[in-house]
Amino acid sequence: MVALARKTLVYEWRRFLPAILAVGFASLLQLLQAALVLGIFGSASVYITGSSADLWAGYPGTQSVNLGRPISEDVAMRLRMDPDVVKVEPFRWVDADWRGSRDTGGVSVFVSGIDVRPDGMMFSRALPPALRARLNEPGAVIVDKADLDSLGVDIGDVAAINGQRVRVVGVSSGLRALGGVNIVASLETARVLDLSRDDAGMMTYFVAKVRHGAKPKVVANRLNGSNAFGPYTVWTAKAFARESSLYWMFDTGAGAGVLFLAGIVFLVGSVITSQTLIAAVIGSIREYATLNALGVGRGSLRKVVMEQAFWVGALGLLCSIVIGLILLVIARNRSVPMDLNPLTTIVCLALSMALAIVSGLAAVRTLRRADPASLLR
Amino acid sequence: MSTIASTSASGTPALQARSVRKSFVSGRLQSTVLHDLTLDVHTGELTLISGPSGCGKSTLLAILSGLQPADGGDVRALGHELSGMSTRALESFRLQHTGFVFQGFNLFPALTALEQVELPLSYMGLAKEVVRKRAVESLEEVGLGPRMRLLPAELSGGEKQRVAIARALAKEPELLFADEPTSALDAANGQIVIDILHRIARAHGTTVLCVSHDPRLVHHADRVLAMEDGRILSDHVPPAAAFPLQGESQPPTRSGY
Repeated sequence: MVALARKTLVYEWRRFLPAILAVGFASLLQLLQAALVLGIFGSASVYITGSSADLWAGYPGTQSVNLGRPISEDVAMRLRMDPDVVKVEPFRWVDADWRGSRDTGGVSVFVSGIDVRPDGMMFSRALPPALRARLNEPGAVIVDKADLDSLGVDIGDVAAINGQRVRVVGVSSGLRALGGVNIVASLETARVLDLSRDDAGMMTYFVAKVRHGAKPKVVANRLNGSNAFGPYTVWTAKAFARESSLYWMFDTGAGAGVLFLAGIVFLVGSVITSQTLIAAVIGSIREYATLNALGVGRGSLRKVVMEQAFWVGALGLLCSIVIGLILLVIARNRSVPMDLNPLTTIVCLALSMALAIVSGLAAVRTLRRADPASLLR
Repeated sequence: MSTIASTSASGTPALQARSVRKSFVSGRLQSTVLHDLTLDVHTGELTLISGPSGCGKSTLLAILSGLQPADGGDVRALGHELSGMSTRALESFRLQHTGFVFQGFNLFPALTALEQVELPLSYMGLAKEVVRKRAVESLEEVGLGPRMRLLPAELSGGEKQRVAIARALAKEPELLFADEPTSALDAANGQIVIDILHRIARAHGTTVLCVSHDPRLVHHADRVLAMEDGRILSDHVPPAAAFPLQGESQPPTRSGY
């Protein structure tokens, strides 16, 4: 078979370039947008994804991890009673006000009070053991490297949280928060910083690890069965992280914005791509008509145009993948929150390929003008 | 009707038109292009239809070749009734039996001469080697053997038209339709193309129906039909065809082929 579609694409690449670029840019925009959204809203659940706990027990109906309320110590007891739970650990969340040593005004911060033992589950992925051990010192806190500027401190500096003296003993990365700044401290430090005296001593969450081989989802369902130990809900870490990210995405209206932008990108991309493909078909309309006169069916001619659309899509995707990877690396080096999972990548690329195919279908309609009888006039 | 459809010795006509009518509507005006035209085209002959522009000769070619339906009347090609055929059936008929040469060369700019010829063949369900063999043979037949790897941009007008002829010829069609095949060419190249068409009818027994007002073609035709206003005015055998010469009888130009 003569590769008409591919040879024409190579020979007349200037003609097809706008379409390839349109698909490429559309794909790149979708990918970056998805990466940014996942990165930014993923940081809403950094407490969960940065920790190794399988289960989270918190106040019933909590929509996002930052909205937790104090729960009874009895819940920890209930968790420990489950045969599949091997370890339970408290987590205290304190909303607080920060005053740095440099003049930064008040900064709203979220203090995470965690169990600082080396085998602690909270932030086990974000804090190396040596750094974690430094939190044993009373008043010691750790912040994200990227937040030092907005907090107006350097490592070793002293600052005030809710009027209490704290000292920055180290920095980590991957602790950036949404809508504020994350501060990690020990449970004891966090208790001192908590101003609301009425629930003093009460924890916000209890996180747990399940026995190796047990399914967290099954255990969570079992634990949610009764309210005998006071009101609480148990989530799997995965579900709670997802719920937190989604809450932020839709609470801020960003989710709708993202969908809207994706629609615009798709529309503009397919207009450019289909116009380019239509122009290419019209440019060869007499040749197509000749083939039809010689008996090559319309279905076969359509296939040629669709094949062209496919290659335009494939080349566009290739461009976007290469450029996207470069940008992702740059973003990562500069602590821009960007995150892409394989599923989202595939969805973005599939959308862009669909754009090319839809444009091809629009161009196929132009083939109706390939009337061999018109060649005789 | 005039004295048309003279029966020749070659047996069943390759193409038969019976009371073919065709009219076009432009705005409120309806203009009839073909008036109840009846015609037989004989197998293995080079038949030339000539006439002034607008006389309906191209429309007749379109109808006889199954590119366009007639408004009325019957058209039979190689014994098949074309009038009632679906678009798909007509495409399949054209694929199996017909070749076309148009005034414009209509070559894909991205394909080499060889690929231009192979392209329609590859849709005929032939084996790859057969496609290659037939394409090479027909390009050699039109004298383009050494230039078959070149793109249209690297070929002269005459060479492009020879590629277009090879593309039609490689299908080994029983019917070859040519519409003004020489009008875009200079004298020498026109002569070459005329010689090739002539040879195709002679050597392959192909029925060649050619529409042209090129007077040089007249002497090469087995039969000349003169058309005017949608009717056939005269139907005669040109004098040169009575004693065929190998392309030597052309007064104005001489071929260097």
